[in-house]
Amino acid sequence: MDATRQARVAFYLTGKRPGAELEPVEGLDLRPALLARYRDLSTLRYDFPLVLLTDGEADTCVRSLSGMVDDALRQVARGEDGERVSKHVLRLEQAIRQASRGKSRSLSARWSEIAAELGPERDALLPDSLDRALEALGSDGEVVDCDGELPGRFVSHIWQTAQTKKARRLHGEIARLVHRVSNILRADLARSEKGRSADALKASLGGLDADAFDFQALSGVLSRTANRTTITAARRSRLEQLIAALQSYNFEPQAFRFTSCSEALAAWRERYPILVGVARAIAMAELEIAGDYREERHDVFFDEYGADGLSPDDIALFADYLVHVSAADMDAGEQAALMEILSSGLPMKILVQKDDILADSAPGQGGQGFARSAPHFAHMALGLNDVYVLQAPASHLLRCSGRVADGIAYAGTALFSIFSGTNGFVGDYPPYLVAAAAAESRAFPIFAYHPSAGPDWASRFSLATNPQPEADWPEHQFDYEDAERHRVSETVAFTFVDFAALDERYARHLARVPSNGRDDAMMPIPKALAVEVEGQPEQVPCTLMVDDQDRLQTVLVDERLMRETRRCRQAWHSIQELGGIHNSYAERTLAEERKAREEAVQELAEPATGTAPAPAAATQPEDAGAEAGQEAAAAIEPEAEPSPDEAYIETPRCTTCNECTQINDKMFAYNENQQAYIADVDAGTYAQLVEAAESCQVAIIHPGKPRNPDEPGLEELVRRAEPFV
Amino acid sequence: MATAASHCLLRLYEERHELEDYQSGVPRWCTGCGDNAILAAVQRLCRDEQLRPEKTVFISGIGCSSRFPHYMKTYGFHGIHGRALPVAEGVRMARKDLHVFVNTGDGDCCSIGAAHWVHAIRYNMNMTVFLHDNQIYGLTKMQASPTSPRGLRSNTTPRGSFLEAMQPLTVTLGVQNVSFVAQAVDWIPELLYDIVSAAYRHRGFSFIRIVQRCPEWLPSLFEPWLHDPERVRLLHHEDGIQVSPALARVYRNQEHHNPVDIDRAREIASCIDPIPVGILYRNPQVPCYEDLRATDHLRTTEFIKNGLEAEFDKFTVWPSA
Repeated sequence: MDATRQARVAFYLTGKRPGAELEPVEGLDLRPALLARYRDLSTLRYDFPLVLLTDGEADTCVRSLSGMVDDALRQVARGEDGERVSKHVLRLEQAIRQASRGKSRSLSARWSEIAAELGPERDALLPDSLDRALEALGSDGEVVDCDGELPGRFVSHIWQTAQTKKARRLHGEIARLVHRVSNILRADLARSEKGRSADALKASLGGLDADAFDFQALSGVLSRTANRTTITAARRSRLEQLIAALQSYNFEPQAFRFTSCSEALAAWRERYPILVGVARAIAMAELEIAGDYREERHDVFFDEYGADGLSPDDIALFADYLVHVSAADMDAGEQAALMEILSSGLPMKILVQKDDILADSAPGQGGQGFARSAPHFAHMALGLNDVYVLQAPASHLLRCSGRVADGIAYAGTALFSIFSGTNGFVGDYPPYLVAAAAAESRAFPIFAYHPSAGPDWASRFSLATNPQPEADWPEHQFDYEDAERHRVSETVAFTFVDFAALDERYARHLARVPSNGRDDAMMPIPKALAVEVEGQPEQVPCTLMVDDQDRLQTVLVDERLMRETRRCRQAWHSIQELGGIHNSYAERTLAEERKAREEAVQELAEPATGTAPAPAAATQPEDAGAEAGQEAAAAIEPEAEPSPDEAYIETPRCTTCNECTQINDKMFAYNENQQAYIADVDAGTYAQLVEAAESCQVAIIHPGKPRNPDEPGLEELVRRAEPFV
Repeated sequence: MATAASHCLLRLYEERHELEDYQSGVPRWCTGCGDNAILAAVQRLCRDEQLRPEKTVFISGIGCSSRFPHYMKTYGFHGIHGRALPVAEGVRMARKDLHVFVNTGDGDCCSIGAAHWVHAIRYNMNMTVFLHDNQIYGLTKMQASPTSPRGLRSNTTPRGSFLEAMQPLTVTLGVQNVSFVAQAVDWIPELLYDIVSAAYRHRGFSFIRIVQRCPEWLPSLFEPWLHDPERVRLLHHEDGIQVSPALARVYRNQEHHNPVDIDRAREIASCIDPIPVGILYRNPQVPCYEDLRATDHLRTTEFIKNGLEAEFDKFTVWPSA
């Protein structure tokens, strides 16, 4: 084994770089090859900065600046000067993007500030373009970039929008109930002695013409004559209590915002009795307004109201709590409080912000080097089954804004696990790039679990926002120029190694190959993961990176980092299975089905032995059809025809015209649908039956044969009855 | 917004209403009058849907048919001639919790109330409207109405009426925002009930023209239709009325008609003989006026007083000091 190979294998196995064959990567400012193009994000048009709109619904109150600019340009950049307007506005957009780094400000203020900086002196038509576009923008809001504060601001903004709407609705509803309940009391007052006193009557008339009335006399007349029914003292006191209870609820969203799970939990416990009181008052008020409150039935029920907890739908009428915690700062007590909230289904929306998902335990402290503390809250919450869970890096928040809104609207607990991309060990990489790389490398996959979206995992769980969710690693086309200045194009996967390579703490697991070229003894990461190596490896894994001059570098990866990469892929596979991708159960069933089908085909293909199949097979469907037809015909066959000798009425055709019942209401009667039938044929004469048949508008009375042979004039009656037989 | 508890409790102690609970008095209509069939169908609907009598209101104008509210043990408003619809619109606007029904006749709706009728269709407020069309003024003893057939001799047209009869269905289907139009005949009670039921369930202005016999003044007008099932064409569809096998055997003249097809509905509406029976048109997407104008504003005494004061102030002449 030559020295070079020895050094590579030794590095792979131990992580040490023994000779000059391999160089450390520290200080070389290397970055993964696929990120070479993203050195300056401000020149790119992408999701950020975002605008947190002051108007809009919960699922539409966040937009990207570029999306808003595109919409505005579609409206104003038309006709001859369209190109000029577009150019000006896009220049302004780029300037806003640069200025928004780390500083948030309202869009309108930022717009005017940048517009003044760009200056009309350089381009006289600039103000015209910008003014027209600003008018077309329509809405305003805070412009925020992807930074450490983004997760909090983003979730809080959507929460605030939803809560404001909810508060308005509940306030309106409570005002309506108070108004209706007060009306009952007011009506009672008007009927009472006090309400009919001369003073009250005078006050109700108003100022003009008050002297024209003798209120004393009017009061006397009213007290003697008008309706005096008043409500009982018990009901009056109940109604007054209802009004007080309804007015006791303060739905001020700010009072429901917390930065600690245990504080939120304590507040919930303290405020719960008030909540029950208001929910009880709403329920009682509804009954009172409908006039349906019965003390003997309802008192017992409402005395015990809320003792066993309120239903989720009732709780959902009230404010949701927002708890924003940082995963790094959570001690054991906080974690226990979080678990309590998650498992009890309280109406709390928990944002767990993670700034570092590659927390490294220092060597020699018994750790494994990598302690990926990261996604465990979200994964644990999935197991609870009724918690809304969303995991996403900050870079993908805009694309997940609908899901954040869903989580906030969900009647129960929601957990948002967000990776901000700001851990302080990534040099000058912008947080957006780090967060996006975490999603791309499967280190922080995006998933959402909506417990009430359907009955099964297929409808509840979604991985769709991930890049290339079907693949182990997302693959991209990578073009570069080789030593002979030829263009080379290859497909490169973005793996966990690339994400770890952004972090300076992991530079020790990488080593640059000075010869700057790849040979047969190296293989790309996905291939290295596919082979199981025992003993000394024939090939060592490598990845492509570029230096600050954009020169391609080959970098070797040690076994420790590879082990972690394998673990990451394993975790991704589990999530994929939950999302129905490469699901092992489904694949097994599919394989069995395929096998069974192949066997069946094979059996059919074997030459038939014994008797030939019956030729009748072809005619079978016809027979079956005929049979079915007969069955159907039988189904609509009427009940047995009534005998022509018996008197009867075709009741379903009766038009309730009263002709027959007026002739004899003992003989003819109406059924539960107000349609006539013969109730008692012996309750009248045959003559009445015939008369009824003749007068029936729709001719549905059939008199049958006479039952009493002694009735006079029978011969004539039978003749008259003939048309109705 | 009701809590789960109040919602359940409201339903829990609801009393079961039988058909008799909706009956009030003995109808004063002539024996054999088609109004009886309509009353029976509507009372059956109330029982089957378990409408709370105190949450149900029947509003009518003037005429034989407009006596209808007297015979329902619910709230009622026997209004003035031709104005049943404006009253119903007011009730609907103020009390969205009520089930609103309107009974109007061919004179009440198509003559003196025609302007209100056209605009009520356009407003599309959620109510069920029964046009009792017997093609004659019966209460005032036989005068021609707008729907009387040409040539009908009556007290006002002794030499026979000169004009073609108005077709209420084509008029209704020609108005913007129309959302439900059906036709029934009083002598097929099963279909009458099915159509009334479908109309009640439609959210919007459900208009049913019910062709109805008048045994007193036009006793033989519908005889030919009554005795020849071929002269009645049943409109059936999976999303409309489904004809029972027993009925299908008697009435074989049938058409499969999709109630969303307004063009075909207009063609069917123009047909006088055979008489089409069923749902001609239904579009649940048309917005209701009361929803468009809904406001969260509570009508407190103060609010009403201020509104009135503001209106009065516009016309007040202030004495110059």
